[in-house]
Amino acid sequence: MPLIINQQRVNDDTWLRVSEEQPLPSAGDRLVPWALWCEHKATLKAAEGRLGVLIEPDQELEALAPDLPDLALVAINFPSFADGRGFSLARLLREKYGFTGQVRAVGAVSWDRLRFMARCGFDALEVPEERYSDDMLQAFDEISVRYQGAADDPRPLFRR
Amino acid sequence: MYQYSEQDQRLIEERAEQFRDQTRRYLAGEIPEDEYRVLRLQNGLYIQTHAPMLRVAINYGLLSSAQLRGLAEVARKYDKGYAHITTRQNIQFNWPALEQVPDILADLAKVQMHAIQTSGSCIRSVTSDHFSGVFDDEIEDPRPWSEIIRQWAALHPEFAYLPRKFKIAVTGSAQDRAATQVHDIGVRLVRNDEGRVGFEVLVGGGLGRTPMIGKQIRPFLEKEDLLTYLEAILRVYNLRGRRDNKYKARIKILVDAMGADAFRDEVEAEWDRIKDSDLRLTEAEMERVRGHFPAHPYQNDASEDTSYPERLASDRDFAIWIERNTVDHKVPGYRAVTLTLKDFLKAPGDVTDAQMDLIADLADRYNFGEIRTTHQQNMVLAHIKQADLYPLWQALAEAGLARPVVGTINDMIVCPGLDFCSLANAYTLGVARQIQERFDDLDYLYDLGEMRLNMSGCINACAHHHVGHIGILGVDKKGESYYQFTLGGSSREDVSLGKVLGKSIPSEEVADTLEKIIGVFIENRLEGERFIDCVRRIGNAPFKERVYASHH
Ligand code: SF4
Repeated sequence: MPLIINQQRVNDDTWLRVSEEQPLPSAGDRLVPWALWCEHKATLKAAEGRLGVLIEPDQELEALAPDLPDLALVAINFPSFADGRGFSLARLLREKYGFTGQVRAVGAVSWDRLRFMARCGFDALEVPEERYSDDMLQAFDEISVRYQGAADDPRPLFRR
Repeated sequence: MYQYSEQDQRLIEERAEQFRDQTRRYLAGEIPEDEYRVLRLQNGLYIQTHAPMLRVAINYGLLSSAQLRGLAEVARKYDKGYAHITTRQNIQFNWPALEQVPDILADLAKVQMHAIQTSGSCIRSVTSDHFSGVFDDEIEDPRPWSEIIRQWAALHPEFAYLPRKFKIAVTGSAQDRAATQVHDIGVRLVRNDEGRVGFEVLVGGGLGRTPMIGKQIRPFLEKEDLLTYLEAILRVYNLRGRRDNKYKARIKILVDAMGADAFRDEVEAEWDRIKDSDLRLTEAEMERVRGHFPAHPYQNDASEDTSYPERLASDRDFAIWIERNTVDHKVPGYRAVTLTLKDFLKAPGDVTDAQMDLIADLADRYNFGEIRTTHQQNMVLAHIKQADLYPLWQALAEAGLARPVVGTINDMIVCPGLDFCSLANAYTLGVARQIQERFDDLDYLYDLGEMRLNMSGCINACAHHHVGHIGILGVDKKGESYYQFTLGGSSREDVSLGKVLGKSIPSEEVADTLEKIIGVFIENRLEGERFIDCVRRIGNAPFKERVYASHH
């Protein structure tokens, strides 16, 4: 799936999606759904390579917080275009829990949410193939005025 | 009033262009229908019964004459020569073509106007007291605070996809003309025991299917903490509000389910974390915004004019209009004037392009170029010198803007209903005409005292029927419009939700029913008692008995 990192299209995604159906890979950059992570944390940590967790928008971040030092990536799923919980989760990960790894948006990720996602702390945006076009990268520059502070710059306009 | 900075202006221009591109991509098939729906709603565009409807923001109901002329121009150029003032102080155009909406937005941007967040599941345009800055008893002018909230809310990156719409109202006076207790958040300027001014914060009020009165979650908040506190509330709501059922998605349901105390605890825990962040307001920013709302250059000797008392004594119609449609201003010799958009047999809240141009001219001539819209779907010229009242009245009367009905049932709040709204269950405009025809004797209405009538065409309650002294809700019965009455509601400081009178009645009986209700009131009222106080004293039973007697 097309991946945008730091507002640029990148071609190689090193992260392997791990699912219930397959055996756990023994090495590499593994992105693991939350439930699977909880179940196999120890095994996963013992193997070579980096780890990421995929969470749903109803995730309690308090439960995830103790594991953040072990994680290089947190992916947040957007189940629909209207669901905005992921925006708050990303900001909390960055601003409250100080997470500095990759925060990736997956699911309903399309042109008209890219800028807000980037502002809220998503540095990686995974766009469904059929919704991707190079033109969409202009989304980041459509509006140049930011009244609010957010994860990208904590200062509201009145402090800049 | 607030003058846009270069950045404020750039934002609305860029937003208009962004929307142009979104519409282009939608029409080219690049944005799916359900996504475009969310995007267009965030920019005030509905698809209605006949055509799209565009709702333009009039932030906290404040307009300059240039802006009103801009709206008149849009009505002329892109619509059928009129527009409709909403119960949230905004303005709607009912007949624009979808393809032209980007051009309308570009035209509006030239007069510092936009449609940002006038609809959709986001923080909506802020509403406030239409008499801000007019009365002595005001604690502080709420408009600078409304503007500060507007800027914080505009294109907020985190809160564009909330569980449901989110409405904030601000009042600077204990006389609550902004209905703060029936908003998602009500912000009220208050003075604490030490004499400092700050905010009382209410959360979880709202009407619609499950009407509720807001609960106080913070008795006193320092001014500089306004935005951090709002952000904490919105974050808790964004994460916790229900998304599985749109009828249970408003913050009132969340606050009710969690309990106000648990909700407050969660908000305060988050607020503790962010209250000293960069979002905390600076003295300089508060000063900057306040500086945009200076007192007008009033004349000291306005009350010395002698023509006004002479006119009052010699012209009865003028005197009635003064009594009904104007109120005393804190500056001696000035009055605040309500322009009633409730002309006989016209749709309540509708205003034509010619009327808008005229009002803009009158505002320039007599009112420092300022106009306000009210949630009662009227307009206000808030600072008229007494010597100017007579010529102003003559000009307004000629244009059908001086019907002396403020506070009577002819000043009803009415949503567009089935004639225009695709969500409606029943017609409202025809019933409004029926009521106006029946109650055309104004002297009779004056004798009844203040009586607020609100009528909505469906349970969404855009006309706030639950808080009308008399509320009328249109319902659908096998394809026919029926009407359910509630009595005893109020959106003011004495807030209450009206109680249902009984089963709904057919449309041709609405005026008869009102007449029976009024009859019971006349028989029972104490000397000088208002209708609402009478209902509160004697309850619904006597009214119910009379209204339904003939049905048994
Ligand atoms: S109350 Fe219902 S009918 Fe009236 S404007 Fe609102 S949604 Fe439409």
